[in-house]
Amino acid sequence: MEFKFLLDDEVRTVTVERKDGALVFREGEGSLTAEVRSVSENELLFVSGGRSRRVFVARDGKRKIVLAGGREFVLAEPDRGAGRRERREGKAREGVWPVKAPMPGKVIKLCVAEGEAVRENQALAIVEAMKMENMILSEVEGVVKKILVTVGELVDAERPLIEVEAKA
Amino acid sequence: MFKKILVANRGEIAVRVIKGCREMGIGAVAVYSEADRDSLHVWLADEAVAIGPPPAVESYLNMGRIIAAARASGAEAIHPGYGFLAENAEFAALCEKEGLVFIGPNSAAMELVGDKVRARRTMEKAGIPIIPGMPAVAKTVADCEAAAKSLGYPVIVKASAGGGGKGMRVVHEAGELAPAVEAGMREAKSAFGDDSVYLEKYLEEPRHVEVQVLADNFGRTVHLFERECSIQRRHQKIVEETPSTALTPALRAKMGETAVKAIQAAGYNNAGTVEFLLDRDGRFYFLEVNARLQVEHPVTEMTTGVDLVRQQILIAAGEPLSLRQEDLRQRGHAIECRIYAEDPRHNFLPSAGKVVVLREPKGPGVRCDSGIYGGWEVPVHYDPILAKLIAWAEDRELACRRLTAALDDYVILGIRTTIGFLREVVNHPEFRAGRTTTAFIKKHFDGWGGGEVHDDTRRLALAAAAFDELMRAGRPREGAARGSQKDVATPWTTLGRWRIGGAGLDGI
Repeated sequence: MEFKFLLDDEVRTVTVERKDGALVFREGEGSLTAEVRSVSENELLFVSGGRSRRVFVARDGKRKIVLAGGREFVLAEPDRGAGRRERREGKAREGVWPVKAPMPGKVIKLCVAEGEAVRENQALAIVEAMKMENMILSEVEGVVKKILVTVGELVDAERPLIEVEAKA
Repeated sequence: MFKKILVANRGEIAVRVIKGCREMGIGAVAVYSEADRDSLHVWLADEAVAIGPPPAVESYLNMGRIIAAARASGAEAIHPGYGFLAENAEFAALCEKEGLVFIGPNSAAMELVGDKVRARRTMEKAGIPIIPGMPAVAKTVADCEAAAKSLGYPVIVKASAGGGGKGMRVVHEAGELAPAVEAGMREAKSAFGDDSVYLEKYLEEPRHVEVQVLADNFGRTVHLFERECSIQRRHQKIVEETPSTALTPALRAKMGETAVKAIQAAGYNNAGTVEFLLDRDGRFYFLEVNARLQVEHPVTEMTTGVDLVRQQILIAAGEPLSLRQEDLRQRGHAIECRIYAEDPRHNFLPSAGKVVVLREPKGPGVRCDSGIYGGWEVPVHYDPILAKLIAWAEDRELACRRLTAALDDYVILGIRTTIGFLREVVNHPEFRAGRTTTAFIKKHFDGWGGGEVHDDTRRLALAAAAFDELMRAGRPREGAARGSQKDVATPWTTLGRWRIGGAGLDGI
């Protein structure tokens, strides 16, 4: 059996086969041979090399969230992410740079005006979430092209707040 | 004793108080904003009353609506938890006027200690050492500039009505002062509804040591020893423990006596905490009185065996304190970690969203005070605290190990949390050695990213994801897979045609 997952913008292929009562998982250059038991919903035990490791797997919409070795991995379907990866690669440090809200919250201050020149890491806005103020910084040097929100507005994560045109 | 108590709070502390009420055979009434309709405290309470829209000022800070909810439900007393109205003297006075018992100090004492500036003056008069600072609230930014100049940088901007690190800013040079004062005022206004701030000299690398006190309505006061809360981020405590590694029995006794003296000087009753800063030479300075149940109260409960919520309720009901100072002992060591909905790998950005999977650790000496459940959406409107994990053991080293193991067993998937970060804090050699100061996080964890992910770990995760797909393939098709049916290239769809017996793996 072969499975493809998108992890950190990279497609990973995992093959699974059965061998002497255990399972062999191959991915990239390496492999993992283990006995696997599902002990409760979302909870798996991998026993290999005299060690038992607990892994949690959850499905949230189209994402799969895995907790292994104290780290969280978010896996997506390869198709959905492929487009995203292309976009990211195509996004050089020039042209119009949309500054997005990193988390849901409320815009409590706009620190710049349209047409204003900004440096890299200059504060553009302050978004409050969970009672803490978070500075939204410019990722590039350039000019504020457009302000897309108003003070007091509630914004979702990834919502574009301000457009900065990067200096050529 | 009361028959019914209204809990004017949300999250883990509301859950804690509701459970305390249940144990005492007292009915518990929850209040909730529109954003909290499905929150755990609402479902655990015997009754729940809606008190308004999501913003706290229109719900959890709305005194009129909370009083009306108490009236409508027939509650005789209000427990405020921490935060929101817990240290609002106007609210305590309003309860007194309305004939409702406020489970906390009397409004006059609360007003005194809640005004950090007045409290400092009172303590100074009572002979308790205080940190140099402005004798009155700053009226203008220029006031602050003059004060900062005479105190000498660094200084710290504090909200006069403050607590929980809200509105606090450390300023190292004159150029940073004005924006820090303005931001402090804004945060203070939104957190406490009062934008008064003042400046204090900022002590570098002190320890934060506080003393828990209980005082009944008849003047009897005892202390329940210290808690050390030096491990802080952005002035918010994140790990707390007791006993403190910095106190000798003599210093402990002296700080305990000073705390009792401070509480008596303020005419204070019910549970309270006297916070001190302790410098390297064992000198301590009064910081403030927290006129409420503290977030970190469980570590005191686990080492003294005293249920502080129960004591609060007994005192509020007019019972004399049955605890005697000479009978109180600290036994073993307890450490608490605060689990926040924040992403420690991305500058601790708040992380609201759905808790997809939740597993809380349990075992000997492990306590989890939680306000969440699997499937619940964490709202964006409130403080990001989700839960607290507390470990108790015979000594500090064992408590650290137990806490580490419990953090390993703690699973919250769907939102980012501070669990992995806290594990590293508790495992840090300096923490293990007991060398904790308020500069600890900045010194050892600035720009923390959690390190590289090992290939082994990533492979294990991918293997688990693959196994999960196999498992699901053996079950009837689920809705989630249907969306990508025409997408023959991915296992999400091809698996649908597999026929494997049950949840087993015989088909491979």
